[in-house]
Amino acid sequence: METAAIEQLIPQRAPIKMVDALEHVNGDVATTAFTIRPDNIFLEEGQLIEAGLIEHIAQSALVFAGQRIWQAGGKVPLLGLLGEVKGFQLSRRPVVGDVLHTTIAMGPNVGGVTLVRGKTVVDGEVIASTQMKVSF
Amino acid sequence: MDMLFENYYYEVVGREGAGDTTCFHIRLLPDCTVYRGHFPGHPVSPGVFNIETIRELAMRVTGRRLLVRRIRQCRFIAVVTPDETPRLDVNLRLTAAETGWLVDADIADAEKTYMTFRGEMMAQETRNRNQ
Repeated sequence: METAAIEQLIPQRAPIKMVDALEHVNGDVATTAFTIRPDNIFLEEGQLIEAGLIEHIAQSALVFAGQRIWQAGGKVPLLGLLGEVKGFQLSRRPVVGDVLHTTIAMGPNVGGVTLVRGKTVVDGEVIASTQMKVSF
Repeated sequence: MDMLFENYYYEVVGREGAGDTTCFHIRLLPDCTVYRGHFPGHPVSPGVFNIETIRELAMRVTGRRLLVRRIRQCRFIAVVTPDETPRLDVNLRLTAAETGWLVDADIADAEKTYMTFRGEMMAQETRNRNQ
């Protein structure tokens, strides 16, 4: 799969860029990757706080949506607005050095709002999941 | 207790109320480095920074280090920026629950409500800093 650079797809930059790569795309499902580095702004005693995880999942959805638009020849980067987080569950906080693999399932776009489901896995274990509404 | 975003993203300028409901008056700090990347030349407060602000203020109220275990619903209703909405009220209602606290919060000013949050937070185990 040919993918655009993350910086081409989303407007977020350091210190809040929270996706390193788009790993797979298959229909309405995609997976991103992100390594937690020691200079991440969401670290509390070496652990990534929930706000950082949610930002990472939201940016993963934005990268996926941007990739689709880029592939179709549309204009990127995409400015996404997070409208709602619902049903977020955390089983454990990831730590510095962990690689987050986040799977995004993109729902239909209704009136400019897309329902997104995200699930973050570290070392094969689901550590967090959520639904969100994002406007692209 | 060390707070990650206090005096980085926001500062507390006042506090009212006791018992079930606490209102914190906060000011957003325009020099926060997050605005370099969110977005270059166009500062907008990340919605998740307001989730963290609610967690930190709930930590002040409870005196415990908290983890956001669940979010039932968090709605981002209007855009927050350090230039246009620098002064905000964070209204917190905490209810003790079996595993921690139910946290019901909103962020508003006299004009409007920017965000609502309903979730569960639990106390974190104390970690050995030398590990």
